[in-house]
Amino acid sequence: MQIYLPIAEMSINIFLLLFMGGGVGFLSGMFGVGGGFLMTPLLIFIGVPPAVAVATEANQITAASVSGALAHGRRGGIDYKMGGVLIVGGAVGSYFGSMLFTILKATGQVDLMISLSYVVFLGGIGGMMFVESVRSILRNRRGDKPVTGRRSRTWVDALPFKMRFRASKMYISAILPLAIGALVGVLAAIMGVGGGFIMVPAMIYLLNMPINVVIGTSLFQITFVTASVTFLHSVNTQTVDVMLALILLTGAVIGAQVGARVGLKLKGEQLRILLAILVLVVCGKMAVDLVSKPDEVYSITPVGRSH
Amino acid sequence: MRSVIIHIFRLLLCGGLFFSHQARAERMVTDLSSHAIEITSQFSGTELMIFGAIERAITRSRGQNIVVEGIDYDIIVVVESGRNDLVVRRKELIGPIWANKSFRTLENVPGYYAVTTTRPINQILTPEQQRLLGAGIDRLKIDFKEPVSKEEEKNFRAGFIRNMKAKKLYSQQEGTISVLDDILFRAILYFPANMPVGGYQVEVHLVRDGEVILSVESPLEVGKKGLERLIYNFAHDSPAYYGIMAIILALSAGWLGGFVTRKMQ
Repeated sequence: MQIYLPIAEMSINIFLLLFMGGGVGFLSGMFGVGGGFLMTPLLIFIGVPPAVAVATEANQITAASVSGALAHGRRGGIDYKMGGVLIVGGAVGSYFGSMLFTILKATGQVDLMISLSYVVFLGGIGGMMFVESVRSILRNRRGDKPVTGRRSRTWVDALPFKMRFRASKMYISAILPLAIGALVGVLAAIMGVGGGFIMVPAMIYLLNMPINVVIGTSLFQITFVTASVTFLHSVNTQTVDVMLALILLTGAVIGAQVGARVGLKLKGEQLRILLAILVLVVCGKMAVDLVSKPDEVYSITPVGRSH
Repeated sequence: MRSVIIHIFRLLLCGGLFFSHQARAERMVTDLSSHAIEITSQFSGTELMIFGAIERAITRSRGQNIVVEGIDYDIIVVVESGRNDLVVRRKELIGPIWANKSFRTLENVPGYYAVTTTRPINQILTPEQQRLLGAGIDRLKIDFKEPVSKEEEKNFRAGFIRNMKAKKLYSQQEGTISVLDDILFRAILYFPANMPVGGYQVEVHLVRDGEVILSVESPLEVGKKGLERLIYNFAHDSPAYYGIMAIILALSAGWLGGFVTRKMQ
């Protein structure tokens, strides 16, 4: 059954969209990631204008993260104060990200920027994840114990404007969470991702937050930041397609349930290696597209309209 | 289809084809199978039939001899949407990466343009006539906003037309109009789902002996309908409220999804 998407202005099979939503939902349920970094490139591959893909994905992630955030909130898994600081950073970041997005769209460079940021961030994160999980598997084979305990003082502790975060039992500078929040805001605006893949490692390794509040706080921030991105893209470029977002969401809700159950049966390291490979494949595909000669070098965009 | 046939029959009667007693020039009546195309949520492109009837020229020469003219009538149908400025960009190698580099702005070009004829267009009209009539993709007038060399004009023009043809927004089908008994003609044009909305112009030209003797214009309206229209207009007319609506929709859908899955477990 074909469905016409009012903002993307294209006709597409609704079952393909449901299937994509379900597939990405399955993977995000299995790996515990948002899935924006998979869905946005997929949407672009099937012909959705990149700007619409990014803005609509932000809208879908709002929906995907709110139920997770609520669930974590119910069992006290959110550091609201930390979340608040991250959101302030995220609001500023998404504002500038959206501005950059609007300017690049007008000059015809937005597709390039989306691809480049995917290649850089997915390549970096995927590579690091891959190396890290291979190392930890080797470590387990040799029977070494991972080093635990509190980390020693670093440059992070030397920053000014310290704040107390009771839920995380931390007393650290607000600058770092603000900066992390801002970076995630920029990424959400220009890549159509929640940014969990940056924020979760940053919270664990940079902020040294206790693991039990990391995921909840991250989801809490993502809900607000993607909502802000949705609003900004709606106002600046009119590229949010609610019809597309709702169809993808429907598939994703179902897929995530199945994925979560499969994920329980796999070991942590195996999951991380699989996820790393997946991230690297998406990154590789985008990199190849950037450097190979396109079939058609000319493209058309309307003047004074959004896409 | 039956209603169309009845329609044609009525046109013939009104045109007075069966009751012609006086000397006069050709006449032509045309109509469209629909004067409005509605883009609904199931829309995936559509066909439009343009049909009509030709009334031949009848002259009286020397008393009662009736001369019926026009054995070689040709029809040219041109359909185009409203005109807009478009930017054509060209990807070029920047270091190792293919990226948009050069661009030209094309002024006042139609977003949809289709030509269909009874015979190859070059056999019907000279290139100059085609240019005057605006008939034929190759004769379409395309102005560049920025100064452009002859060579680049050719490249950008060709790139633009290739793009539009690939999107099925530009088409030229020569020799596909069928004419019955030199009286009835019928042309079928395709409109893809990504066609621009707004007012379209359908022109039917009647040609005899390399001369355009009649042109009939009819309007065609393309618009989004129902939910599609609502969403599109909402997004463009009040983007801030649309954004807030999108957020509320996402939050409630996410909450509902979480609620349902919790109950199921």
